[in-house]
Amino acid sequence: MSDKELSEKSVIKPTGIRNHFRLLIRFVCLIAAVLCLLPIRDKDALLPIVPALSSFVAVTSVLAAKTIKPILGLGLVAGLVALFRHRWFCRWACPMGLCLDGASCFGRRLKRKPCQAMSIGRWLLALTLGGAILGYPLFLWCDPLALFTGVFLLTEQHQLLAGAVSFLLVMLLLTFSLLWPHVWCRGLCPLGAFQDMLSIMSRSVRSVLKSATDQPDGGYSGHPVARRTILGLLVGATSASILRLTGYKPSRPLRPPGAVDELTFKGLCTRCGNCIRSCPHNIIRRDTGQYGIAGILTPVLTFDENYCREDCTRCTWVCSSGALVGVDIDNKQDIQIGMAQVDMNLCLLGEDHECSACMRWCPYNAISYVFSEAEYMLVPVIDAGKCNGCGACEVACPTSPHKAIRVLSNTNIS
Amino acid sequence: MNNGITRRDCLRIMGMSGLGIGTGSVIGKQLSPRDIGESGFQSSVITTNKVQENRSSAVLIDGKVIQPQRQLPVLTETDVLVVGGGSAGIVAAIAARRAGAKVTIVERYGHFGGLWTGGLVLTILGHIALGPKQVCQGIGEEMMRRLDKMDGAIIHRSPGSNPIVDAEAVKYLMVEMIEEARVQVFLHCWGVEAVTQDNSIRGAVFESKSGRQAILAKVVIDATGDGDIFAAAGAQFEHRSHNVGLASRIGNLDRVDKTKTADTEKPKRLGSVTPVRGVNWVNLTGPEVDGLDLATMTRMEMNHRKYIWNKIQKIRNAPGYDKVYLVETAPQLGVRITRILNGLKTVKVNDLKNSTRHTDVIGVGGASNAEHVEWQIPYGALIPHTVDNVLASGRCISCDLRMADLVRLIPNCFVTGHAAGVAAAVAVRDRCKPRDADITEIQKILRQQEAYLG
Repeated sequence: MSDKELSEKSVIKPTGIRNHFRLLIRFVCLIAAVLCLLPIRDKDALLPIVPALSSFVAVTSVLAAKTIKPILGLGLVAGLVALFRHRWFCRWACPMGLCLDGASCFGRRLKRKPCQAMSIGRWLLALTLGGAILGYPLFLWCDPLALFTGVFLLTEQHQLLAGAVSFLLVMLLLTFSLLWPHVWCRGLCPLGAFQDMLSIMSRSVRSVLKSATDQPDGGYSGHPVARRTILGLLVGATSASILRLTGYKPSRPLRPPGAVDELTFKGLCTRCGNCIRSCPHNIIRRDTGQYGIAGILTPVLTFDENYCREDCTRCTWVCSSGALVGVDIDNKQDIQIGMAQVDMNLCLLGEDHECSACMRWCPYNAISYVFSEAEYMLVPVIDAGKCNGCGACEVACPTSPHKAIRVLSNTNIS
Repeated sequence: MNNGITRRDCLRIMGMSGLGIGTGSVIGKQLSPRDIGESGFQSSVITTNKVQENRSSAVLIDGKVIQPQRQLPVLTETDVLVVGGGSAGIVAAIAARRAGAKVTIVERYGHFGGLWTGGLVLTILGHIALGPKQVCQGIGEEMMRRLDKMDGAIIHRSPGSNPIVDAEAVKYLMVEMIEEARVQVFLHCWGVEAVTQDNSIRGAVFESKSGRQAILAKVVIDATGDGDIFAAAGAQFEHRSHNVGLASRIGNLDRVDKTKTADTEKPKRLGSVTPVRGVNWVNLTGPEVDGLDLATMTRMEMNHRKYIWNKIQKIRNAPGYDKVYLVETAPQLGVRITRILNGLKTVKVNDLKNSTRHTDVIGVGGASNAEHVEWQIPYGALIPHTVDNVLASGRCISCDLRMADLVRLIPNCFVTGHAAGVAAAVAVRDRCKPRDADITEIQKILRQQEAYLG
């Protein structure tokens, strides 16, 4: 089966009973997905389901983070089914696909010519998987389920800006579908491409097995898709290894607790916004690109109004990829977000003023004030073994406009 | 005393105020103007060839110093005795008096205000929460409003900022307010012991130039800061160490020629402005020591004095700063925390973080303006577990380690003092122990006296 045939198959043609039935199922799936993502009470259990259904994200996460967490099981099962049922997810379940197909149908009525199959999605996929092996999946953020999930940030009162970004991206895709019907599903979607790849792999294996039994002298002689995939894998792996070998250490912003190493994090984060939504204290924001283009829209912590509470690990559990490793409450103190540092030029104690705010708010008793006989004043001392960079001290610090005590990410500590 | 009141007038006023209530007869007799004026000189003989009455000096027996048993003269009997005239004690006395009790206050120094005035802690810190909202109201706020009306008494009174006072203005105002409230006063009295009966406090013993005397009272408010009275009565407490410093004031800062020094070489740690032009008050935190240990206190006093003097010399050596001088060091060491009562309830840091509400709330404390919290103080934090008829107020109320630094702040002392005063008056009126006093009645009177209870 050629590329074109594969992609053609994913396009719905709503004729006949079977197609009507499938359309019905797809609507049900869309409604279910929307319900999962709406802001209801105890939403944390449902939030990760939709983005976790992506087999592309699940497999990439396992490859890149080299760990597995329970929620990734959903995507792995979805991938397993895709081995035998080609693009079943696109045809039956994908909520994003249904929305884009709707736009595409409208586009076709406007006499726009349907898009021919392209292989950009394959390249995105191959580059991502190749990078993932070396810990830097390049285009995981193109996952359609993550994009879909991100829109629901708009339902949170404090996250309108973060949600607006995702909303605009999806609107852009809808517009594309209107102008060039089916452009995403046929040519761009890396999740679709991943399912194509799974399908081709299983067919190839089956045909090899079949030819091994039927025709002992005739073997499998390669496939253009496979060659392209291998090339892409190599390019992805090379780019990731170049980044690593050159000792490239990105300036690390403050990440939510449980974040994997910075380079992998930037790749593994799907920008779905679940962590941002789940944070009860509104301290996770989208990065607007201060830390390089590669990290744009990823979650960063701000301690303007609140800190990463000692009794909360919600963001780590709603993360549907391997970017945030699940953290138990009991281990929260051991999960390093950053490290507090005091600027004695700003600290009130440096001017002999009376202050004990940071010591009082530190949940881990990591701050003490030591009298310096030489300076004849109190100096805050931070116990690096106890501080996990939660930011309680930074919030409580009364100096303004700049805080005297700030949490710096570990790479930024002098 | 800038309006022509001499020391003698001042003493006479004190004596008269004692007479007015009918129990200050000793002082009144000794200082009556008729006696003093008789010789025509500045000094007169009161009694000739006198031998100290009721003498009971300690005696050395077998190398041990023994204090003989003796009966103490009872100076006065009162409803509510407040020991300590600092920021908690003064508010407690006024509050109890306004709530209808007969009140006596004793103070170890010659002025009111404790560390606020004598310790030169001139910034009112910790009376705000949630930005500009002020949680310290009641008599504390009334004092600040009265300071507003005095010339050069208080600055930085805008909402959300920490006011800074002039210590002398505060000392004056406190005399005025205590006299208006008609509280009986004994200055230069160091409360040293409790008078106990079974498990109850019945009064306090204090030392003065008039010798060791007792005052009997229905309820005693321990506003000593160090918890001297509840400790003497056998109440359980926690003995803590904290930083002990010494504040000072430096002058002529308005005559500094800043153009002569580069920014990087300008002297630092010059303190905060005060209502007096060109004069700053400078805090000193000091090392963490036991504030009850005599040898330590002596060392602190001497070390700090040397440090402050030498620091001023360094400042004066900076070009343009040669006119700066040391106005004064505080008469009192800056002792922060010593004894903390083990009370029925405890002010806990987790209650601050969780904004816990107490049914027996008697006041709300504030914090620095970044912390954005108000924390409630329960009545139980003023009451000892076992000993009756005594209430703690000020920095020695029951609190955990991390809250002590908020509890000890001046406005929070106003708040706990206010509550202790009202509660004592209610207990006296209802003839019950303070622990059994009607909390809703205490809260009602506190609100009538404009306290903020959340």
